[in-house]
Amino acid sequence: MIRRLLRQLGRAPVRILTSVVALALAIGAIGVLAVPTVATSSLRSTAADDGVPQIVVPVVDTASFDVSSLAPALANVDRLEAEVLTDVVLGDGRAVDVVGADLGAQQIDVVAADQGRLPVERGEVLVTAGIALVGDRFDVPLADRTTLEMTVVGVGGTTFWSDEDVVFTSIETAAALAGIDGANWLVVRTLDTSSDALRATSRDLRAALAAGGVTTSSLPLTIPGGRHPIEADIDQISTLVGLLGIVAGLVALVLLASTVNTLITERSREVAIMRALGAPGRLVRRRLRRLALGIAAAAVLIGLPLGVLISNLIARLLLDEFLGITPGIAVSLPVMAGSALFALLGARLVAARAAWRVTSRPLAEALRDRSGAPFGQRLTERLSVRLPLAGLLDRAAVRNGVHQRARSLAMLAQITAAVAALMVIASLATTATGYNEAIIEPVQWGSRTFVPGPGLDIDASVADDDPRSEVGADIDGEVAGWEVSVMGFASETKMIDRSMNEGRWFANPGEAAISTGFAERIGVGVGDDIEVDLASGLQTYTIVGLHPDRDRSVFVDIDELAADMLLPGMGNVVMSLDDQPPSYLTGELQVQRLSDLSDDDSGTTAILLIFTAIGAVVVAVAGLAVASGLAVGVYERRHDFAALRAIGARRRHIFRLVVAELVPLGVAGIGIGLIAGWWGSAAIIESFEASNAVEIGFTYATGAIPLTVGVVLFGTVALGALMVRRVSRRPAAVVLRGAA
Amino acid sequence: MELNSPLVQARDVTRKWGRGTAAQLGVDRIHLNIGRGELASIVGPSGSGKSTLGALIAGIDTPSSGSLVVDGTRIDSLSNDRLARWRGDTVGIVFQDFHLIPTLTAEENIALAAQLADRSVRRAERRDRSRAALAAVGLDSKARRLPSQLSGGEQQRVAIARAIVTRPRLIVADEPTGSLDQASGHEVFELLAGLTGSGTTVVVITHDRELAAGADRQIAMLDGRIATHTAAGVDMSPFVETDVRSPAVAADADLEPVR
Repeated sequence: MIRRLLRQLGRAPVRILTSVVALALAIGAIGVLAVPTVATSSLRSTAADDGVPQIVVPVVDTASFDVSSLAPALANVDRLEAEVLTDVVLGDGRAVDVVGADLGAQQIDVVAADQGRLPVERGEVLVTAGIALVGDRFDVPLADRTTLEMTVVGVGGTTFWSDEDVVFTSIETAAALAGIDGANWLVVRTLDTSSDALRATSRDLRAALAAGGVTTSSLPLTIPGGRHPIEADIDQISTLVGLLGIVAGLVALVLLASTVNTLITERSREVAIMRALGAPGRLVRRRLRRLALGIAAAAVLIGLPLGVLISNLIARLLLDEFLGITPGIAVSLPVMAGSALFALLGARLVAARAAWRVTSRPLAEALRDRSGAPFGQRLTERLSVRLPLAGLLDRAAVRNGVHQRARSLAMLAQITAAVAALMVIASLATTATGYNEAIIEPVQWGSRTFVPGPGLDIDASVADDDPRSEVGADIDGEVAGWEVSVMGFASETKMIDRSMNEGRWFANPGEAAISTGFAERIGVGVGDDIEVDLASGLQTYTIVGLHPDRDRSVFVDIDELAADMLLPGMGNVVMSLDDQPPSYLTGELQVQRLSDLSDDDSGTTAILLIFTAIGAVVVAVAGLAVASGLAVGVYERRHDFAALRAIGARRRHIFRLVVAELVPLGVAGIGIGLIAGWWGSAAIIESFEASNAVEIGFTYATGAIPLTVGVVLFGTVALGALMVRRVSRRPAAVVLRGAA
Repeated sequence: MELNSPLVQARDVTRKWGRGTAAQLGVDRIHLNIGRGELASIVGPSGSGKSTLGALIAGIDTPSSGSLVVDGTRIDSLSNDRLARWRGDTVGIVFQDFHLIPTLTAEENIALAAQLADRSVRRAERRDRSRAALAAVGLDSKARRLPSQLSGGEQQRVAIARAIVTRPRLIVADEPTGSLDQASGHEVFELLAGLTGSGTTVVVITHDRELAAGADRQIAMLDGRIATHTAAGVDMSPFVETDVRSPAVAADADLEPVR
């Protein structure tokens, strides 16, 4: 087979190599379907190595409670470790998390040192990369107003805190920083890691802690089945990547069919001569199938490593961006086997059909006609002759497009796929930008300030004398199985736009406003009651309005929320109309500025980069496929072109002929591609909205249409010019002699 | 340009492909004149260079060396596009395999040649000329047929109509009867021969010595060179094979000795 392929390569090197490269690129592009597997595999491997917990329970302080009694008392709890979580502001003004744990003895969420060693003495810390170097020292204020000098003895961390700035230290040091006596962060390993079991165990834990007088400051986090906490986020991006992989696969399918069809069809005359010389049809068909298989096999050899490379590059980009993890090389055997089978079986099936077609034509007819069935036999061809087109070259071009309908359809599909892919990418970018803007649209605060520590720990009365600030609450809750932000505001708040899509802002106890998109997704409306699971237990509110907020938020009165959280008169955030925290707040503060939110587009940029890379692959595959189809089309008609040149046609006439055939395909491809791009991107956003129960708001990238149209038309015309240049280079007599 | 000067003047025309020992010679140092309104035939076995010589005269190939003047234009040094324009103006070409555009009807094939030769001609006039050309070859009733709906002889007639629609000074027909039966072949040859009556020079490349014998000038090719040359019933072979310029022949305006 290889010898035969090499012989064929000698006959038509450019066409065969273009087919192999284009098909290989297509197989490589299918490799993006492996991104979820590759990313998940790296994440789970890291999660297993670090002993990621299945349940995390934030509490106020376990000071007087014997935490070690919980594990034996709860059936599904295998191990429970107590940690302390707090924050400090470093000398450079950067706020970092501080995690206190029994370092060196941990089995859950194990902290490891990449450089240096684990902290042993009070004041020793290990930091995540980028915060400080081993040997650095810095002073941090303690809760009792004294100062603690911290010495960095190691750099490293644990996967749970990946991509966060964290200082790891002993429980005692962290407790001194937090001003608590016990722990405030419980990590649990369970025997049964299924979602249902974790949910039940979480409930039991909350009940046991409440019975022991320990207040749960936030809803427990559950991580089922050995997953990594960030896996859900990666899954969504991976799904998107996979969707684009499917587009690449469809382009590959069209490319495979057109390449194999063309390779076999252009051997019609050779086949006819072989049959005339006595070769049985079965033998001829086998030779043709082997030729197609040879090309597919060569493409698989190049395409599989290319697919592994592409999937690993994208997975690395994703994990590096979102987790700070640099994963090792991973492969998805099912995707590799699938794409190889796709190419080989696809080539075999298409070749079988095409080979049957060329061997079943009456021999006399096949010998007489060099370029397949003569024009004018089909009804569509006869109808195309009646089309009232003005120019003779236009008529010839359009009729040829009708004659070579399979190739025309393939090129149409390829242009459509390229346009659709470009528009999907552009629309996702536009939608992401629009969403980011919409998220902060209702926000009227200029800054939000938190103080370190769990729970509601700010006395709401601190803002009583400051008309430019308010104390509020921002806590986690759960509604209908969805994690939500429960936001406590004053009923007359100035910190958020209270304009509603429907109904009104809350005014009375028991009332709530919720995000419109979320309400639609969970099927509730104004007048309905919703049950909100708070750390303190279930609370019921009546929906009085639907807010334009794009997140999953429930807005309630701050006083009522504090009371529901069993901490009346308290809050956990101070919102200010100014860019700076109010002057009455002192000590360690974490400040979130609106201007920072609107400027931070690093995540969006990373996602767009990934989409752009995949889009480039898809467009390259489609471009190569179009070029391949066009090259074959021009090559097959080289004798017609030479005859035209012989009777006086210049290169521009030939170019006109080729372009006149391509432009209708380009225009139709652009039209269908724009529609398909709209439909595809809308479907992707819809799936995102459904899987997140939020309103993202789809924006079609109409601004990208002129560029897309320009790129496709310019590409088509440039390809045409290139092909015509190639075919016009040899003297007409030499080309025509080859036809005889 | 003098009206009584030869239409085709070839001097030391050589066409070869490749280089060095691998070079393949098409024609070798051809020296030839063909007069206006003449019917010239070029005969020879396969590989003798007759089609190459025809292609050079028609301007669809260019010599590797030597000079080739046709209708007063030195065509061996023209660019591809200028050569194409010159062909449209000056030459009509008929191929053995017809080489009609398969997606155009008979009339459209002919009109296209007229359009390529001169875009300034209005569509209606082009149509009239195409129909007249079709009528001249006896196919006016099949103007709307596609090539696939015509017989071989009919397709060759369309090809001749396409060649004459631009009223060229020169028609080069390469094996025009090669794909036809004997009767159709004779009809086509007669059609071509009749064109000389209007002053058109016709060069026919053929295997058929019987057809070639009916030409005013018969050139026999062998191994890329002219082997025998007969003009006006006079055998010019002695001059073909020698480098001696005969005063008697040199005085003949239609013929110069071949080196």
